[in-house]
Amino acid sequence: MHTLVIDTATEACSVALFDGDKLIAGNYAKLGRGHAERLVPMIAALPGNGKADAIIVNCGPGSFTGLRVGLSAAKALGLAWSVPVTGYNCLGLVAIMALVQQDGVDGVDVAMHGGHGEFFVQPYAPDGKAAGELASLTPEIAAARLQYNLIAGSGSEKLVSLCDNARALSLWPDARQAMRLPEHARALPAEPVYGRAPDAKPMAQQAKTR
Amino acid sequence: MALILGIESSCDESAAAIIGTDRTIYAHRLQTQEDEHKDYGGVVPEIAARAHAQHITPLIEAALADADMTLNDMDAIAATAGPGLIGGVMVGLVTGKALAMAAGKPLVAVNHLEGHALSPRLVDAELDFPYMLLLVSGGHCQILRVDGVGQYRRLATTIDDAVGEAFDKTAKILGLGYPGGPQVEKLASTGDPKAVPLPRPLLRSTEPHFSFAGLKSAVLRAHQSGDYGDADLAASFQQAVLDCLQDRLEKTLREHGGMKSLVVAGGVASNAAIRAMLKTVAASHGMRFVAPPPWLCTDNAAMIGWAGAERFEAGLTDPLDIAARPRWPLDEHAEKARGAGVKA
Repeated sequence: MHTLVIDTATEACSVALFDGDKLIAGNYAKLGRGHAERLVPMIAALPGNGKADAIIVNCGPGSFTGLRVGLSAAKALGLAWSVPVTGYNCLGLVAIMALVQQDGVDGVDVAMHGGHGEFFVQPYAPDGKAAGELASLTPEIAAARLQYNLIAGSGSEKLVSLCDNARALSLWPDARQAMRLPEHARALPAEPVYGRAPDAKPMAQQAKTR
Repeated sequence: MALILGIESSCDESAAAIIGTDRTIYAHRLQTQEDEHKDYGGVVPEIAARAHAQHITPLIEAALADADMTLNDMDAIAATAGPGLIGGVMVGLVTGKALAMAAGKPLVAVNHLEGHALSPRLVDAELDFPYMLLLVSGGHCQILRVDGVGQYRRLATTIDDAVGEAFDKTAKILGLGYPGGPQVEKLASTGDPKAVPLPRPLLRSTEPHFSFAGLKSAVLRAHQSGDYGDADLAASFQQAVLDCLQDRLEKTLREHGGMKSLVVAGGVASNAAIRAMLKTVAASHGMRFVAPPPWLCTDNAAMIGWAGAERFEAGLTDPLDIAARPRWPLDEHAEKARGAGVKA
């Protein structure tokens, strides 16, 4: 059973093709922007155009545009190949990647760049399970709420600079590591987790705040 | 005969269609986002992008089911690559790229404006190049000479607001909600087009262009004065638009004669009063008047599929790393018109 993994929810853009849990081929690039241009050629460069029996995609939270790029491609490939599409949580994969690298820690706080200078933050226990709710917070508030000494993700260095006794692990989610997630964690609905509402306010609400 | 899947997601309509190069429309599915945007008084880009991401794939699946076809039956995949709200354009374009790659079919990245410009040829097999095109929509107001697929010469454009924008803003001023164009037209039919003195920007100007920002501001002032009823305001506004469009079009037709057909396209082309005026103008210049049915004037995927079909037959396909473009003028060589916020 082959699985294609697509991850475009952050500054990184990555794809991977697995046979069971074994990585056959993959690619990872720290792009910043341009996922909509790079993603499909990256998949096409995988063996057999990346054709798989199932597709797994990073559903966020992360860059609104990035996660739509990944989800759109995943859903289109699911339609073209008539295969199921499921998702995983962005911070959940970063947590697992951090815990694998840093064996023996008592847990990890994940902090990823969000919108308007805020970070998406969530604590994870050593077994990779979420140990608290997802939140979008300013760096200062996020730093005050940290639970562990290890902070992983794109926002880790900034948060470490704001508190004592914490270590930063700069990490971005990587499709090639996705099979480290427990099975149930990569079987989420393939729907975007935006983590923030759109900024626009309905006219009725605008009138009230004037 | 070739079959093309068309995908549209550049503004507030998500749509998918299957079009034959023989002009058969095998399927067309469209999901409007009117409900998502109505509380905001206009299209909110982030909300539009979220809705497109939700709707596009199911619409394509439904269109294929309607036609009793699979992706393997398609000869090419055509998707709007701009101009438009970039978040939504990306959703449709990436979807199209992934489908094209997976099915081993060529991708055709379609300029949404070319979709409008060629749409009359989908329903009128007699319409040959070249023709004179008035492109009127929420984002554009242009007169173009259409010499062939991918061959456009822009003769006039708006120096500020698009004509559809003027309709939508007038609707907002009159509290008619969104989308406003059809509502203004409906209300205008019950009012007196001479009741409110409104300006006709650039009327009889020596430059060929359009301007509607001053007209919209005048509607706002007239409304605020409390001296006029809403129906009279709508009717007078629509009449001013008609006068401006006619004057500018007549000027272009005088200076660029020799076209056999006058064609109108774009969302505002569904306005019956504008169509009637254009029919008269065409007749007075000895031209045939061609207007697609209203459903093909507003945003849809049939026109994207058709433009894709025309480009595919001309051998014009695109690589999978092509970028979406928020701005993408049909005539890349057109001189910049004066004024700020010029619409491409």
